[in-house]
Amino acid sequence: MRAVIKNGIGIFSPQGFLDGNNSSILVTFEDIEATKKLNADIILVSLKKVIFFNRNGLDIFVKLFTKIRKDKHITVGFCDYDEKKFNAIKNFYANDLNFSLFQTKEIAELFSPTYSNDKRDVLIYTDDKSQNSAIAIELHDNGHNPILAQSKQDFLNKKDNFDYVISNSILGCMGNSVATRVTGNAIIYTISTFLDAEIGNKFNIAYHNNSLNIGFKLFIFDAYKVVSMNIHALNFFSKLASYSAEYNATICFAGLSSTKFPESFKETLEDSGIMFFNQMDDILNDEKQLKELTGVTSVNTKNKRHINKATVSELPNLIDATVATIEMMTNAKALKESVNIQEVTLKNHTDMVASSIGFYGDLDGMIILVFPIDIAKKTCELLIGEETDDTDMILDTLSELVNIVGGKMKTILSDENVNINITLPRTYQKISTLLENTKGRKGVQVDLAFDGKKFLFFLTR
Amino acid sequence: MITKEMIDLYIQKIPPAPKALQKTIHYLNIGELTKASSVAKEDLALSSYLKSIVNKPIYGFRNNVSDIPQIFGILGVSGAKQSVYNYLLTLLSPDKWSLFKLNSNSFHELQAQLSVKWKIILKHLNILDKDIESAITLLPASIIVCDALFGEKIEDVNLLRSVNNLDFNTILMRLCKFDLFDICEEISIKWEMPENISKIIQASSGKKESSEDSINILGKWMHLLLFYELSQPIFVKAELNDFIDFNIEYVSDIYEEFAQLMDIK
Repeated sequence: MRAVIKNGIGIFSPQGFLDGNNSSILVTFEDIEATKKLNADIILVSLKKVIFFNRNGLDIFVKLFTKIRKDKHITVGFCDYDEKKFNAIKNFYANDLNFSLFQTKEIAELFSPTYSNDKRDVLIYTDDKSQNSAIAIELHDNGHNPILAQSKQDFLNKKDNFDYVISNSILGCMGNSVATRVTGNAIIYTISTFLDAEIGNKFNIAYHNNSLNIGFKLFIFDAYKVVSMNIHALNFFSKLASYSAEYNATICFAGLSSTKFPESFKETLEDSGIMFFNQMDDILNDEKQLKELTGVTSVNTKNKRHINKATVSELPNLIDATVATIEMMTNAKALKESVNIQEVTLKNHTDMVASSIGFYGDLDGMIILVFPIDIAKKTCELLIGEETDDTDMILDTLSELVNIVGGKMKTILSDENVNINITLPRTYQKISTLLENTKGRKGVQVDLAFDGKKFLFFLTR
Repeated sequence: MITKEMIDLYIQKIPPAPKALQKTIHYLNIGELTKASSVAKEDLALSSYLKSIVNKPIYGFRNNVSDIPQIFGILGVSGAKQSVYNYLLTLLSPDKWSLFKLNSNSFHELQAQLSVKWKIILKHLNILDKDIESAITLLPASIIVCDALFGEKIEDVNLLRSVNNLDFNTILMRLCKFDLFDICEEISIKWEMPENISKIIQASSGKKESSEDSINILGKWMHLLLFYELSQPIFVKAELNDFIDFNIEYVSDIYEEFAQLMDIK
């Protein structure tokens, strides 16, 4: 059984009856190894579709949690349970509960540094006062508004007035890795505790480089939870900022209080081009500034790498991966119309959306897919079960689709011993933004038609 | 990935029930156990299947039973009918399973487990009806159909499921507006199985509640029984556990009764 990852949360969803005999088969050694490789901030086992479990059945998952935490330092636990299941788990692991329990997946999302959600009003009441405080602190750190109920009656009286209520949840050890999320066209890294030389190991520099290559221009370090920083971390961020500046990219710190590091550090970082903001909202809610920082109108300087022979030689595989995925998702047949080496060229881009995904490893590059909105809607039908006109949902689905394309590319190339990793996808609601971003960059453009609708595949580096 | 045309083609290719089986079922329907066993004895494949299935530990016979009239005598009319339908289903099963890690032995085991436990459930519910007893035999058809349709698409399905935890039934429904249980119903029509059987099977999907209460109750028990069986190590290993969605809310009102009946602790 494999975990499905969305918004930084990887979820295992076993079904039916869980006991010692079957759960060891449900989660194999390979599954554990695959889970460790996931780029997740939280790994959970959903008990939503489990009608019966005993201690032996859960023990296999608890062992999985221990192994993942040891290697990845991320939050692990169970979710989606009712009160009866919650009490059973508490009884089983009374003195040994070193994982988290989240009543629902949605409640777990409130604690995820990756999940980009709005500030929520959350009412908390559990039997354990220290848990109440821990939950409140963690929620506050994640930008929410937690309120502690004074008594059970107080909780019952108030609960209808809140976005979320947390009662049957327990926080075990929370994560402390550098989490990554994309919001709009900015990438947000979450950093915490004491920043020292270890940041160089925790931070995925290959991922950052490829995000620069894809065209991301704004990188924000969510630093609310940072306690302090030493000279090694200072050097790391200075170098990162200088390197990113070569791509016209900006690095910002949000929520890093000046009391947490010497004034001279701030000056050094500012000299490297790093910008400081008191709050995340100061960046994300200022549309004018955000537009400037995300580089919609700026021209890429360093990032003008052109397609090379190694990448072109894999073009048939990359097109196969794309075509097969879209055919699979839409049951539409693809027809190749033309292949040219050029910049992204579109005669008409009304009612089109786009997405790009980068790959790196034995081979590096980026594919850009420009879809008619109808095809994007069709894929929504399979992934969410209905047609929708909700743009956010369409773009979200497009990300999932491009992730599947990336996964397929990985599989096809690994059959040829070419190992790649893929970046988070970037979506474009406006094609003009994409054209601006890829200006001056040549690649292979393949014009395709799905059921008569134009579709563009572009491969570049 | 999978189109309605592919489903139609699959249904078209389902062979009609062999004459000997039709005759056996006819005699069983009118309660002629001896005549039914005589016809069944002539079909060597059916005889061999019946011998292998009734001698499984779940049937609990101390000695090996090999004589067909004796087998029919032990099983009774409804048990014999159930076994003949089970055999009919095996005619649809592939020689080599591609999606699920099953073989003929483990598939027969699933049929036997479901049949015997379904009988226990019906006894508990005080239901004595040959057709309802036979209904369980059609349930594994959903597994056969799933393997046939998705067997060659497993890589695509795995990629899809890596971003969205969809079960096979939902994927099929969203792609073709036709699901595994609709195909089971088509099979039952082709094999002229009683109408009640397909109604119960549809309700057992956990997705389509029946408007008839009596059918709905049976659908719930069957849905829960299916997941109880699919949670057994042999079938978890066969990767059958999540081929359709388990609807826990649908069965929550009968769970305690089920747990007692199956002695789940």
